[in-house]
Amino acid sequence: MTDAWVWLLVVNTVTLSSPLVLAALGGLCSERSGVINIALEGLMLTAACVTATVGVVTGSALLGLAAGVGAAIVMSLLHALLTQAFSIDHIVSGMAINALAIGGTNFLAKSLADVSQEKAPVFDVKLYWALAIVAVVWIAFYLGRTRGGLHLTAVGNDPDKSRQMGLDPVKVRYLALVGTGVLAGLAGTLILSNAQSFSDGMTGGRGFIALAALILGGWRPWHALGACVLFGLFSALQIQLQGQPILGLDVPSDAWTALPYLVTIIALAGFLGRNRPPSGLGRP
Amino acid sequence: MTPVVRMSGVTHSFGALAALESVDFEVATGSVYALVGENGAGKTTLMRVLYGALRPDAGTIEVEGVERKWRSSADAIAHGIGMVSQHYSIIPELTCLQNLVLGAEGSFVIHGDAFRERATRLGSKMGFAFDWDAEASTLSPAGAQKLEIVKLLWRESKIMVLDEPTAMLSPADSDALYASLKQLASEGATVIVVTHRIPEVMQHCGRVTVLRGGVKVADRAVAETSAHELAELIVGHSVSRSPQGAADPGEPMLEVSGLVVKGERKDDALKGASFVVRSGEVVGLAGVDGNGQRELFHALVGTLPAAGGTVLLGGSDVTRVRSRDRFVRGVRLIPEDRHEEGVVEDWSLVDNAALGLQHVPPLINGVWADLARRQALALRVADRFKTKHQGLHRSMRSLSGGNQQRFVAARALELDPRVILAFQPTRGLDIDGTAQVYASLREAARGGAGVLVVSFDLDELLENCDRTIVIHAGRVHEPTPGQGHDRQAIGRLMVGAS
Amino acid sequence: MKAFGWKQVALTVAAFGFVALTLIAVGVMPGEAAMELVRGSMGTKNAWNETLKLTTPLLIAGLAVFIALRAGLFNIGAEGQLLVGGLCGTVVALNVEGVLGTVLACLAGLVAGGLWALPAGLIKAYRNGHEVITTIMLNNIAAALVAGLVAGPLRQEGMSTSTEVVAESTWLPSLYENVPFRLNIALVGALLLVWGVAVWIKRTVAGYELSATGANPKAAATAGVEVKRVTVRAMTVSGALSGLAGAVQVLAYEHNFYVGFSSGFGFDALGVALLAGGSPWGAIPSALLFGALSKGTTSIQVLGVPKGLSGILLGVIIIVFAAYRYRRVKSHD
Repeated sequence: MTDAWVWLLVVNTVTLSSPLVLAALGGLCSERSGVINIALEGLMLTAACVTATVGVVTGSALLGLAAGVGAAIVMSLLHALLTQAFSIDHIVSGMAINALAIGGTNFLAKSLADVSQEKAPVFDVKLYWALAIVAVVWIAFYLGRTRGGLHLTAVGNDPDKSRQMGLDPVKVRYLALVGTGVLAGLAGTLILSNAQSFSDGMTGGRGFIALAALILGGWRPWHALGACVLFGLFSALQIQLQGQPILGLDVPSDAWTALPYLVTIIALAGFLGRNRPPSGLGRP
Repeated sequence: MTPVVRMSGVTHSFGALAALESVDFEVATGSVYALVGENGAGKTTLMRVLYGALRPDAGTIEVEGVERKWRSSADAIAHGIGMVSQHYSIIPELTCLQNLVLGAEGSFVIHGDAFRERATRLGSKMGFAFDWDAEASTLSPAGAQKLEIVKLLWRESKIMVLDEPTAMLSPADSDALYASLKQLASEGATVIVVTHRIPEVMQHCGRVTVLRGGVKVADRAVAETSAHELAELIVGHSVSRSPQGAADPGEPMLEVSGLVVKGERKDDALKGASFVVRSGEVVGLAGVDGNGQRELFHALVGTLPAAGGTVLLGGSDVTRVRSRDRFVRGVRLIPEDRHEEGVVEDWSLVDNAALGLQHVPPLINGVWADLARRQALALRVADRFKTKHQGLHRSMRSLSGGNQQRFVAARALELDPRVILAFQPTRGLDIDGTAQVYASLREAARGGAGVLVVSFDLDELLENCDRTIVIHAGRVHEPTPGQGHDRQAIGRLMVGAS
Repeated sequence: MKAFGWKQVALTVAAFGFVALTLIAVGVMPGEAAMELVRGSMGTKNAWNETLKLTTPLLIAGLAVFIALRAGLFNIGAEGQLLVGGLCGTVVALNVEGVLGTVLACLAGLVAGGLWALPAGLIKAYRNGHEVITTIMLNNIAAALVAGLVAGPLRQEGMSTSTEVVAESTWLPSLYENVPFRLNIALVGALLLVWGVAVWIKRTVAGYELSATGANPKAAATAGVEVKRVTVRAMTVSGALSGLAGAVQVLAYEHNFYVGFSSGFGFDALGVALLAGGSPWGAIPSALLFGALSKGTTSIQVLGVPKGLSGILLGVIIIVFAAYRYRRVKSHD
């Protein structure tokens, strides 16, 4: 293995894990406030599509980014509305939002200018890498050392008692889901920035991997970051080792694809230490 | 002198049910003020109105002579009102310090050291010490109650409401609590205690207001009233006591020896408990909450495994017998929390009637459920205590809490019970309902069953059971002969002193 | 308690208004689109044929998800179980001919699907790991697994990602033919399955305990129900039925297995189960609706409506239905 090979591995790992980091942190905001969020995938897809569309139409990377993140916030707030105001089950709402996103992005991309054909103007991906690191540091500080973080944790663990203490759990959750929208939106625009043009289902299940990383990291920011980097490393290895035998065995690429999922299941089975989810998760 | 709190004409209803009807309530500072009444009399509702957790349909609230309208509890807190609810508002996953400051942090950034210092100062003022960085889940009930009081101090509450503060405390801890409250009152705080325990009122409080059925029926200085008068004011009529002591104990129905059960934290929650319940007797198990009652209950039901010791049911060993087969052999339950453990609220009364009895013949026939018999059973269960319902096929949710409890209690008496395990069976019942439940337990005992009642209310057990045993720190103690009804002696056993 | 309030009505209006606006945005009148949707799914013999063909796996998998839901579990893994069941069924049918092959292939589908769901059940029951996460992971593993197998050891000569066609003697036959309309025995079997599940849930003690576990697990445990076992059993049975749906899909309609074999039946099955409401019988109209939508949105593309419409409709229908049906009653204390 050469230096160049290792360097490529590092770059690939960063490239592949950074959207996961942003999305996982988005999930963290939501789940620490007690809202189960399987809609990350949909939020990312929405952001990617809207960023591409607006970027192509206006020719501005900034407008594209703003619109993409804005769209993700709207979808995230829809999740908040459905789960809080309508008391719909969090999983059901998340599924519905994913379906809306998959259908809606296809609709948008096909019906408005052939977005998928054109390259959208985007920011350098290094900007997003920096944002991801800043987000981890900020969220870790916010959760542990600030009033808002304490309120988020309290509401996520016990909304009823939090209300007794004068907190407004619904407001806390709406705010948390704005945070989810911003971060998952950034993750989506990052994925678009990597690919430069939109294609159907381009997030490819990374919202779910991010969720897995969040769980693997025990709903803690730095741990989640670690899990994301681990998953990113798996994917990078998959790309670089494709077709090469490992220890004399020919490992098919599909096995590499399945690896992060397998690791998550093993983690959930408790073989990698037990994690405690916020105890108010999913409660009205 | 204007009263610190004046509530006038407060009316509040939950749906069609009027909880408060034009109640006037005034409190002055200086002593501990008691608000008493039965379950459902409106005590807690009135205090939640004061605390801004409920908005009254009518009426006004004045604090220190100024009329106030609360939009939420946050408003009330901001004006110096603090409330400790019966089940506490401590979130076990947060640290003690986080719980202390929650909702009253004052600054955006939480300054751990400065906060800890002030917390320690406030605690030591009351003579309390805490490990501020420990998770609140490690607190005992008494510790949690102390933390609640420091929380009030942290918020600089001038008006403190405590709802049934001694419900989960031992007699000794209760006395200590009242000492703290009196200290606070003497320093200028206004302390209101909601309780249904008359002895506490007589011993510790200065003035008392009695609510009955949502209406204020009396307002007295404690020195000018008597326990007897208060009891009559609370109930509104004399209560017929259940017949007692008639039991002639027969064969042992439930024999527990050396029972060891692991608790949630893998420590021994039960450390070799032994006792016997005989056919025909109603035995009370007294004790402060958290001394192993739940683990014992679950081990007897078969939902927690025994790590040691044996459980005999009618003479045969059931220690390793699974839960459903214990039901088949005649174990019946009145579980602790009817919402969570006793009923399925979305189900009809008919389906709920079979809950726990689903494997008991004749409700089962091979793999098939006998739906006709289930229907007949439901009819009997609902009729026994005159459960008020709007049709057996309506959902359990459509019943009031008291009627749900009647249903659950009646169900435990069905299909030839041999051992009835009742955990706080009268929770949420008024005095008549309580009498009814004990009367029926007595009836089941007369029919040959052995009855074990777990309760945190010693007085209720002493009044209604044939004998009372005590659980403390995972061990069961029998009072020495002759002291079976001695409140002082049993109270000492409850805190581990003999 | 009112059945619904203005909020629900407002949501319904907003949701369908949104669908109408998206249609107008691409220059299609909503009424016209609705007409085409109905015509394309139920207007001709061919349309009916395709709709019922899609309804079959939706009904079986929907029933599978329904059973899990009844026990309080979200089996998002129906898709993966269906893929694994379909592939295993194919492998068996490729090796055993005749009716025996058909029966064994169905069994293989059941077993494979059940085993694929088993870890999710076990982790939920004994490790308290959320079944939604595990089943999503298992879906992705299943997709990678079948893709690898179909592109590798099971590949048909000359094709890139599909298996050989199974022997005609193992195919599930049509009961009634009026070309192009064919009624396959599989649909009748699926209807019988609905009846079986309904009887099981309503009339057996096991069904009672399953429902108790879903409705209030704590009360169920207190009442002597072995909740952990019921959870594992429900998840496994659910997976088995999803696997069967995959095997039946091969035997009745597809006759071989390939990547893209399922057009997301497992995901639509969730919608089917949610819309079925409290009774397995509800899965019949619900599966038919989803089958028709699925077929209809394909034919509606001739009007220039992108196929994404089906996703939008799915989301909107679930949201509106859930707002009425799965609205939790606020706790009154």
